Amino acid sequence: MNINDKCSSPVDENDIGVVFRKTLGHYTVHTHGREIDCTLSSLIHKQLIFPTADPTSLRHTVHAVRELDHVDPVAIGDRVRYVDAGADRGMITEILPRDSKLSRSAPVPGQRVFEQVIVSNAELILPVFSAANPTPKWGLLDRYLVTAEAAGLSTLIVINKLDLAWKNPELDEEIDVYRRIGYAILLVSAMTGEGIEELKAVLQNRLSVFIGKSGVGKTSLLNAIQPGLGLRVKAVSNGEVGKGRHTTTHLEMFQLDFGGALVDTPGMREFGLWDIVSEELADLFPEMAGYVGQCKFGLSCQHDREPGCAIRKAVVGGSISPYRYQSYMRLREEL
Amino acid sequence: MKTRPASFGDFQCAHCRGIVSSTHLLSGVNNRNHCPYCLWSCHLDLFAAGDRLSACKAPMKPIGLTMKKGRNKYQHEPRGELMLIHQCVECKSLSINRIAADDDSDRVMTIFQQSISPGDSFHTLCQENGIIILKVEDSEIVRTQLYGRYSEIPALSWR
Repeated sequence: MNINDKCSSPVDENDIGVVFRKTLGHYTVHTHGREIDCTLSSLIHKQLIFPTADPTSLRHTVHAVRELDHVDPVAIGDRVRYVDAGADRGMITEILPRDSKLSRSAPVPGQRVFEQVIVSNAELILPVFSAANPTPKWGLLDRYLVTAEAAGLSTLIVINKLDLAWKNPELDEEIDVYRRIGYAILLVSAMTGEGIEELKAVLQNRLSVFIGKSGVGKTSLLNAIQPGLGLRVKAVSNGEVGKGRHTTTHLEMFQLDFGGALVDTPGMREFGLWDIVSEELADLFPEMAGYVGQCKFGLSCQHDREPGCAIRKAVVGGSISPYRYQSYMRLREEL
Repeated sequence: MKTRPASFGDFQCAHCRGIVSSTHLLSGVNNRNHCPYCLWSCHLDLFAAGDRLSACKAPMKPIGLTMKKGRNKYQHEPRGELMLIHQCVECKSLSINRIAADDDSDRVMTIFQQSISPGDSFHTLCQENGIIILKVEDSEIVRTQLYGRYSEIPALSWR
């Protein structure tokens, strides 16, 4: 897959490109080998409500203006239609329908919670964690996995800093919990190069995205995959063990030499679930999905204190990890 | 696998329906599992106190007392901390829990007296789990830990 492949459209393909970088109010659109610095049409920021709900009606008066429920209407990976203003500048006028999107909730202080689309049209999500320094936060991994399941996206769990695994003797046992569920896990080291070739094979010819907290080595992995990029990386803080320094500060998609594209994201400490209701949460845990509706409470079972709940029985019986069940309960409290 | 401690709020006792406050200032413990009135608990912890990893969540009955040994290995008499032994009514697993500051001492004493009758099946179960249940000969220690010594009360000592 090439970024340009995403530009193909039956209608007026000259004015369609893929957003691969964004900084405050500016979007870099890649189209047919060119990079165009675009701004956003103000009409995309809001939705006009007409009395007849038909914008093409003869009586063209605006009834109301509704603000949209997302932080930024354009995400990395979006296919957009733009107006070329010359001198490599333009204005985005339309966002074409997305095949998929990876979103999180973004609470804005003093306002309501908005949707933040991290990346759209991605095919593979790679949650990146480090074997040590910082140690993996499995609760955060469960959030990523639930979000990916809800979006219908494939996942590959990447454990980086394998050279430091001796600092975390419990790691194998913890990884096995996810292996038993059926998640693919790849152990790599950006420092020694171990596992990098396998990672490249997985990334080939598809749009993938690295997500993870600060300091786990997402950008270091990207540098190891494609050494020519020379992206800025920093060591984790010495003062507080396992604290990253938020070296990467913006989202950007990179074209890979061997085919495909990869989105590098800044470290995300918080990852709130978006557009997931508590009733469907158990279905997003693959090992629990088979037990939903199997007790006398049926689909209305909350899997908390109901006597004879099939999911709780499976946890007590050892079929479901108690850590995953605890993650489920914590996430359910949020919804 | 390490987990962060769960946030524990106030709760209603599943056995006596009393409202229980989990405030540390009242109970003096961090992980409030059992009711201070009836001393029944809930099966919430799996590997360690406060991990909240158990999915059983069934009521746990107070069945006896044990002593958590103190750190002074040279002391002769068992003067550790008095602990409650709970048994899950569903999965029958045992757990020991610290007695909280606001627990009903008379109720603790009643449980001790009920537990010392010989021949009870849970004595064997406790032994199998390495828990030493307190017996008749430990009555004085239990009484002292729950109510204190008369000599330690200033109003009585000078009389």
